Amino acid sequence: MLRYLISRIISLGLSLAVASLVIFFVIEIIPGDPASFMLGITASPETVIALKAELGLDQTPVVRYLNWVSGLLVGDFGISYTYKVPISDLVLDRIQVSLPLAVYALILSTAIAFPVGLIAASKRGEPTDFGIMGFTQLGIAVPNFWFAMLLVLLFAINLRWFSAGGFSGWNAGFWFGIKSLTLPAIALALTQASILARVMRSSLIETLSQDYIRTARAKGLSQRRVLIRHALRNAMIPVLTILGLQFSFLLAGGIIIENVFFLPGLGRLIFQAIMQRDLIVVESVVMLMVFAVILVNFLVDITYALVDPRLRREG
Amino acid sequence: MRVPTQLLFGASLSAFFLAMALLSLIWTPYPVEILNIPSKLKSPDWQYLLGTDHFGRDILSMLMIGARTSISVALVAVGIGVLAGVPLGLAAASNRGSAFDDLIMRGNDLVFAFPSLVIAILITAVFGPSAFNAILAIGIFNIPVFARVSRGAALSLWTLEFILAARVAGKGKVRISVEHILPNITNLLLVQGTIQFSLGILAEAGLSYIGLGAQPPTPSWGRMLADAQTLIYTDPRLAFIPGLAIVAMVLGLNMLGDGLRDYLDPRLRKMRP
Amino acid sequence: MTLLAVSDLNVSISGEKILNEIEFNISQGEVFGFVGESGSGKSMTALSLMSLLPKSSMRTGRAVLEGRNLFNLSEREMCAIRGRDIGMIFQEPMTALNPVMTIGNQVAETLVIHGKYTRSEAMTIARDKLARVEMPTDRFSPDLYPHEISGGQRQRVCIALAIALRPKILIADEPTTALDVSTQAQILELLKRLVKEEQMSLLFITHDLAVIAQMADQVAVMQNGRIVERSPTRELFQDMKHAYTKKLFAASNYSSGVNDKPKGAKFLEVRDVVRTYKLPNRGILDTIKSNVAIRGVSFTIKKGESLGLVGESGCGKSTLSRTILGLDPLQKGRITVDGVEVNSGRKMPHSLRRKMQIVFQDPFGSFNPRHKVGRLVAEPFHLLEKPLTTVQQKERVVSALCEVGLKESDVDKYIHEFSGGQRQRIAIARAMVIKPDLVILDEAVSALDVSIRAQILDLLNHLQFQHNLSYLFISHDMTVVRAVTDRVLVMKDGKIIEEGMTDKIFDCPQQEYTRKLLEAAPKIPQVWAPAKFCRV
Repeated sequence: MLRYLISRIISLGLSLAVASLVIFFVIEIIPGDPASFMLGITASPETVIALKAELGLDQTPVVRYLNWVSGLLVGDFGISYTYKVPISDLVLDRIQVSLPLAVYALILSTAIAFPVGLIAASKRGEPTDFGIMGFTQLGIAVPNFWFAMLLVLLFAINLRWFSAGGFSGWNAGFWFGIKSLTLPAIALALTQASILARVMRSSLIETLSQDYIRTARAKGLSQRRVLIRHALRNAMIPVLTILGLQFSFLLAGGIIIENVFFLPGLGRLIFQAIMQRDLIVVESVVMLMVFAVILVNFLVDITYALVDPRLRREG
Repeated sequence: MRVPTQLLFGASLSAFFLAMALLSLIWTPYPVEILNIPSKLKSPDWQYLLGTDHFGRDILSMLMIGARTSISVALVAVGIGVLAGVPLGLAAASNRGSAFDDLIMRGNDLVFAFPSLVIAILITAVFGPSAFNAILAIGIFNIPVFARVSRGAALSLWTLEFILAARVAGKGKVRISVEHILPNITNLLLVQGTIQFSLGILAEAGLSYIGLGAQPPTPSWGRMLADAQTLIYTDPRLAFIPGLAIVAMVLGLNMLGDGLRDYLDPRLRKMRP
Repeated sequence: MTLLAVSDLNVSISGEKILNEIEFNISQGEVFGFVGESGSGKSMTALSLMSLLPKSSMRTGRAVLEGRNLFNLSEREMCAIRGRDIGMIFQEPMTALNPVMTIGNQVAETLVIHGKYTRSEAMTIARDKLARVEMPTDRFSPDLYPHEISGGQRQRVCIALAIALRPKILIADEPTTALDVSTQAQILELLKRLVKEEQMSLLFITHDLAVIAQMADQVAVMQNGRIVERSPTRELFQDMKHAYTKKLFAASNYSSGVNDKPKGAKFLEVRDVVRTYKLPNRGILDTIKSNVAIRGVSFTIKKGESLGLVGESGCGKSTLSRTILGLDPLQKGRITVDGVEVNSGRKMPHSLRRKMQIVFQDPFGSFNPRHKVGRLVAEPFHLLEKPLTTVQQKERVVSALCEVGLKESDVDKYIHEFSGGQRQRIAIARAMVIKPDLVILDEAVSALDVSIRAQILDLLNHLQFQHNLSYLFISHDMTVVRAVTDRVLVMKDGKIIEEGMTDKIFDCPQQEYTRKLLEAAPKIPQVWAPAKFCRV
């Protein structure tokens, strides 16, 4: 297990290093001169040179990269060109919205998908199963931002149960914050829950056809007990994989959903940064998101080993 | 007889939108580049079958051209994924365990760490928003998908004895990949292609909704929804029509994919939920 | 005293009749054997007793166990019967155990779910039961997971969990078919002992007449969903009233006509060959490990000779065949074909490859399902220097197909239209189409039913005679090797430990391992067999 853990940690570090190189390359090398890019065509040569010095762009790419990465490691993301404040402060502020939103949505989708997938698998071929499959088919086809608009239309405009958007921070109280994030989280969770329920169902059905299920039945376990005691844990591997992938979709989906609900999260930040050509912010926030995705996949890898003893001793 | 029904339904729904997109190349009820403010926000009637938007443009015409935008973006993105991903996957499988295989797989993992929206953000941050960049972003994300699917399927084929028989007959790796592996994974690729196509439609809609996709005046479903959102208090109809179009198109494609999978090979069922 | 009485059992699946009027009785403490070829309905009989048939099946009839008709019980009542009154073990021990549950827990589960014991009591009994199947806890911790023990050991665990509650009947469905011959012998011995000690009845299903002869008190021979003959084992083998039984017996005692053709010059020479391969590394930390599959093997094959290669799974037989064919590079030693050295791996010239072809075990995976038979058989033409015209190709393909007993019209069919035996004929046609000198038969008849196997062996014999072929006959099946080879090599752990004329090796083996292998192979007692089948 320790070996497995260490080798996973090393590959986590390598992935991060390569990802940071790719991002740095795309943002700082490809546009040619980031400073003049950020200032636009109308800028005078003097201002460009001044900005270059300010951002440290007069140094060689290698030095710039090392500065950036060593900054990231200690939480110093640099200064935002447009906001004139440390990016880490911006990020810290915004992450208080984005992270709870993603986690909320993940909890919602898991809480819906697990029982639904289990029911569909145990009622395979029956009307309940067809109903669930039809509904999830629809859930996958609905774009989350459109679903979000429909939610706003129904719950905010017509029923007035929730506000149509905005987030006044956690200072207004935990439940108030949760309430503001509920519609966005539901919008995000619908698609993911549908996908997850389908994965859960098919993985369970696949597992139920294995030889050891027959052995368990021959021991005298009922259909239901076999499902719970033998199939469930074995069926978790593909479900975990999808859960890991979902996190990255939730992060990305969050960027769009934050726009629908005017939530001051990372998505809005990065979006505004693009509009204002603030490359330094884009660079750091993208890196942060990629870090989150890689970290979650690392956690999924670790969970695999907890679920499946075959992975523990190898590797 | 559920399977053929699903296939038929999915195929006709997809064909309907394809026909709409193709028709828009030669004819739309009204031109969409011209703003016609006097007839703005008209409800559906015999003159404007689906009504008009806040600029007085005919919604049906916009929907038709939007279908064209969506389909062409998604199709080209699938094309990029297939053309780059499948050869990579096949090559990796035929050199299983080699450094090349490792490189391909690590590269795949790396791209997966960048959700397609993040790729799009990176690209637009540097090159500015456009339909072409949306294609690029979705296409890049498709490459590892196809590489992984074809590698996985090819690996299990490589262990079969008919491949050994071909090697005993003196055939090389490339030739075996083309002659024996590729024909045996086309069904799988067809199904995966349909899935990626539908995901592409959704991704394009999302990108153009936040303004990173097709730029005005080119109509696209995502842009129509973004415009509709500002008018959601006054005229929610504008938000329903393009949204339903996306749902119907994606549903059609997904049902087509599932139907094809069941029809072509029941054993593929496990490849995708 | 009759324990289980089955009468008038009929089963159909999706409207197709699978079992027809099955009738038999099992007495207490008796071993009742079912023997028959694949698809004869043996397993279905067992599954219908357990009420574990596929959902789409229809079952009628009676199976009375101690006064209760099993077929009238509800699913809930059946759950109480399974595991407690009837235990069952299956063919494939590698997949029969839950991979994420320890073996101790899997044995204990049987005890717990029937509500007789608490969890901790069950664990204690489970240890005891594991010891009963010769898996004592001091050597095999109950905390082991299935992937940490071998196939034979897993089958022992399966037996332990099946007998944990001392069922009245144990059903064993081909329990040793997937195992090596020496492991098979141990498992059979264990089953016999348990039956005696626990006073159980055993319903034993197999395709192997010799195994049934060793195990059963009563035998039922099945064919196409019917019992064609049923009698005490010894009587069955002596009388053989039914024609099908005779046919089965003759086929499983296959003997080829003696091929007295003088052997030619040395064709293939293998000298001190060593083959290692890298194990896949699973993480960055892993050092590259390698495994030695073949450790210095030398032998020769003459023109027109049949050389047998026997050994248990994992001994390196198949690796050796791949190395000879030049599919894998070799690390040390040399291989020469007709005096020309086979250079390791990829660069082997077509002129050499042309001289050797191979027939594999799996009649299903051996062909590209998307190509027609004509194209499949024509594949080796790739090795010819001058490409043949389409007409010439067709001619040669057709003549190869006719030679193996297929028809000209088969050229335009796809492989799924053929049965296992026919597919193996097509595989032979593919090997023969470029007229090789040596054909490697890698377990080529192992997946076939005995009667089909006999036909394929006849065909191979005929082809050898016609074309003066050399065969390298790789098999784990001693009887077949004895019947068809001139000389035999015994392989163990990547080395050849014994070599000699077939009859000599079989009659007086020099090595302990060979002797053990031969002893482990189940045999029908000579005295039972009617004189006309007896071979000396």
